[in-house]
Amino acid sequence: MSDHNMNNHHEDHGHHKETFISKYIFSMDHKMISRQFLITGIIMGTLGMLMSMIFRLQLAYPDMKFSFLEGILGHWGKDGKLDPNFYLALITIHGTIMVFFVLTAGLSGTFSNLLIPLQVGARDMASPFMNMLSYWFFFLSSAVLVFSLFVDGGPASAGWTVYPPLSALPKAIPGSGTGMTLWLVSMILFIASSLLGGINYIATILNMRTKGMKMTRLPLTIWAFLVTAVLGLLSFPVLLGGSLLLVFDRSFGTSFYLSEIVAEFAGGIERTGGSPILFQHLFWFLGHPEVYIILLPALGITSEVIATNSRKPIFGYRAMIGSILAIGVLSFIVWGHHMFLTGMNPFLGSVFMLGTLIIAVPSAVKTFNYLATLWQGNLQLTPAMMFAIGLVSLFISGGLTGIYLGNAALDINLHDTYFVVAHFHLVMGSAAIFGMMSGIYHWFPRMFGRMMNETAGQIHFWLTLISAYCVFFPMHFMGLAGVPRRYYANTAYDQFNVFIDMNQFITIAALLGGLAQVIFLVNFFYSALKGRKAPQNPWKSNTLEWTAPVEHLHGNWPGEIPHVYRWAYDYSKPGHNEDFIPQNVPDKGQIDPLDESNGLPEPVNTENSANH
Amino acid sequence: MKIFKSLTKSLFFLSILISFGFSTKAQSADEGKTLFNANCTACHAINDKIVGPALKDVHKRREESWLIKWVKNSQAMVKSGDATAVQLYKENNESVMTSFESLTDVQIKSIIAYVKAESEAPAAQAATATVAGSNTNETANTSNDYKTEINWLLVIISILLIAIISRIFGILNKIGEIQGKPVINWTQTNGLLVMAFLIIGLIATFWEFYVHGKLTVFAMGSASAHGDEYDNMFMITLGLTGVVFVITQILLFWYAYKYKNDGKRKAMYFPDNHKLEFIWTIVPAVVLTVLVIRGLMTWNNIMYSKEENAREVEIFGYQFAWDARLAGADNKLGAHNFREIGKVNALGVDTTDEKAKDDVVVKELHLEVGKPVNFHFRSKDVIHSAYFPHFRAQMNVVPGLPTKFSFTPTVTTADMRNKLGKPEFDYVLLCNKICGSAHYRMKMVVVVDTKEAYEKWLASQKTITNQPVNNSIASK
Repeated sequence: MSDHNMNNHHEDHGHHKETFISKYIFSMDHKMISRQFLITGIIMGTLGMLMSMIFRLQLAYPDMKFSFLEGILGHWGKDGKLDPNFYLALITIHGTIMVFFVLTAGLSGTFSNLLIPLQVGARDMASPFMNMLSYWFFFLSSAVLVFSLFVDGGPASAGWTVYPPLSALPKAIPGSGTGMTLWLVSMILFIASSLLGGINYIATILNMRTKGMKMTRLPLTIWAFLVTAVLGLLSFPVLLGGSLLLVFDRSFGTSFYLSEIVAEFAGGIERTGGSPILFQHLFWFLGHPEVYIILLPALGITSEVIATNSRKPIFGYRAMIGSILAIGVLSFIVWGHHMFLTGMNPFLGSVFMLGTLIIAVPSAVKTFNYLATLWQGNLQLTPAMMFAIGLVSLFISGGLTGIYLGNAALDINLHDTYFVVAHFHLVMGSAAIFGMMSGIYHWFPRMFGRMMNETAGQIHFWLTLISAYCVFFPMHFMGLAGVPRRYYANTAYDQFNVFIDMNQFITIAALLGGLAQVIFLVNFFYSALKGRKAPQNPWKSNTLEWTAPVEHLHGNWPGEIPHVYRWAYDYSKPGHNEDFIPQNVPDKGQIDPLDESNGLPEPVNTENSANH
Repeated sequence: MKIFKSLTKSLFFLSILISFGFSTKAQSADEGKTLFNANCTACHAINDKIVGPALKDVHKRREESWLIKWVKNSQAMVKSGDATAVQLYKENNESVMTSFESLTDVQIKSIIAYVKAESEAPAAQAATATVAGSNTNETANTSNDYKTEINWLLVIISILLIAIISRIFGILNKIGEIQGKPVINWTQTNGLLVMAFLIIGLIATFWEFYVHGKLTVFAMGSASAHGDEYDNMFMITLGLTGVVFVITQILLFWYAYKYKNDGKRKAMYFPDNHKLEFIWTIVPAVVLTVLVIRGLMTWNNIMYSKEENAREVEIFGYQFAWDARLAGADNKLGAHNFREIGKVNALGVDTTDEKAKDDVVVKELHLEVGKPVNFHFRSKDVIHSAYFPHFRAQMNVVPGLPTKFSFTPTVTTADMRNKLGKPEFDYVLLCNKICGSAHYRMKMVVVVDTKEAYEKWLASQKTITNQPVNNSIASK
């Protein structure tokens, strides 16, 4: 995206109406928008990861002075000691960045944009203009959040869940001043971005499928993106409402969330009549579906990658769709499991507990289906496949601890401890990052027309997997010892201070994980510019995106959009020479794409389509 | 003679006065120590900066009257534009110091006296300490500095390693290009690596349980009546999920090893099997039904427990400490009003209420073993969470929303210390919901006594009406 590119572009394609600005910046092409989402997501992810390194250093070496901190953080790191307020700011912004900017926009934004039109067979999104707006709202939102790092009092510091009154009263913690206002502005922009994107995804999937692409022939990625978009559309507006009320409480003197507070930092006035718990209900009404907004695209990507690289149809396609839908529906009635101990009526706790544990059933079905897909397969252990396998492993490890936390009784002693930190970093953080990585390695040839270096990818995978387990697995034991999360140091408690060795181990493992991401970053940017040119269909995949030309093209296919004659998973079908039959290949004698395919394609047709 | 007599008389009086003066001074530093530990240690220490600045020699830096005003309401001073106050506020990253309006001038003076005594006293101690342990001091210094030779060596080695690895990459790539196929067969390598990861991972998991399992509160055993049922529920869940964890992880990595591409394999076309799918939907459903029923029973038993003879205790949370109010002889807590907080007393308790007359406010909570307690939680400012890990008890403390939790302590502190072999062990109540900068130091020691010891302790506590209050404010 340098000037050099721009000049080239003008010389080569001067006759197009596209300018540098319309092609690379205010692009309405879904493939370019997906790259924009990915690169912004990667930058934000790097920032979030660096923040975690700083607070990990603090946790491992609470007494040590790191003089470079003063260089990076200024007065927040006076004499090389991290300020406790800024520690809380770091964990807050780390959480916000990772949950929203990397794993929602960076993951779902990237792959929904790239894959929805290409896999359903559409020229572009239903509304390319809204799609462009979606990215630019996201960009603005990221910019506001990054800017908030530099304001007086520091960025928001009330935890990524920003529970009032801590977040509502500007003097309760320094970050609840300007920093919190900017956090809310950023979040409101983010929600606008997410809604614009979501409406578009749903409209495109429902209305713009090519001929023959029945809902029951959609790749599981698209099913996952569809349910994700619906979840986002139904839950993000609730957070928007909740955030606006918080803005009113903070700036206009209302008391939606404030009750019985006459503290010096309440501004000297009585704040009565509201309920802090109301905010938690509104927040988690988004917050829990949000977990699945993050996880479902990762699971969709994994389904596709595992099937392709096992050279086997995904096991139980319809059961997979059923479990995605079940998870989607159930995710709306379980938000209360974050609030078992807020003083909510214990009966409500029982109801939320029931719903929460039921989610384990579709999740278990998905896991077993992945295992059955691997069974008797012919596994191509590419980096994408390794990350997909890693996701399943992390999903099991993190998912099982959900059974403890979803149990209201067990939650009493585990709530808000490191057990929770371990749980959600495994099942939502690491697993979703693994899904995202799997998607990047798998679709990189489609995004950039080049291949990534495999050896670097494999090393990246192994270091990341080892570091993920070394960081998060020991944390369970801290949680079981009752160590609370969001503690600046455990020095005030002898019983927690015994974990100092473990904390040092975790920090070293986290630094190793950070180093592994440097390998990824180098590989990513080097390959994007100078990697080996990608072949048409490098993974011998069935889905439609691999029939589009490698060179990006506005409108995706030069001629007619291919028709679809079969489901996406005809791998290793007996009686056929090749071990894959792309979706656009008709069966012998199949004329209408809508007819169900039962047999095999004519050999001649296969040849044709391979050359196509 | 007369003069002599009156002189001795006056000397006598003087000596009494002096000795009295001394004793009040000593007493005041003692009282100061108690007050300091109860109110200040969450954010301050004498020699180190914690959340707030180190207080050493603060009596030299500031006027006493200034300090009293500051402790009572620092924000008012910042607002009024007091230059020192504004500067101090800025220097500490605009962290607001908690206001202690309910402390009397005398109490604040006693705290200052304690700080003064501490600032001066340790000079001697420190001198002896350096003589006795100059060695330890040195090691402490080096361990506090990350710029050691070894660390520099590590940095250099890792830079070299990165350089070498990237060099090897380049060479391997070149060889691969010449040979026309990649040098490392990643399918084979990954096959070995997944098995190694599986085996080492499982061993590490068991090792973790063996080594760090001992540090958990579950290894300690519960100290409350419902805790045994809780631990039971936990162990059942641990057993079931543990089996699933081991089986699924083994299958996953073993399949990755066994079915890896070897150039000859052909995958089996196996799109679905309703019987299999039915089995692995029903089995988890049944297992979860068991867990849900068992969990609901435990949850309801804990949350709806009603004990007839329970003691009433109020836990009052604020940035960054806890107060506990015991109901006294009548076992009834007096009325409170949030608007009165910090005026008549720190908790806003209505001292004219008959029920409040015998209430006792303490900074260290004592409980009687075997006696059920109903806890009522109240917050002054933001949300806190009262977490008693050893009693398997936790409840959020929400401003404006009364919450409660009940449990019966079953093991005295002394017994637990014996059991663990740790004479310093104490039960704690800690804050488990992010509440501000000193969140990580917001704790209260909980002591479980025998009946006799408890009653003796309770008798030694002053009731709320007898506790010193800031009368100048109360009279307004």
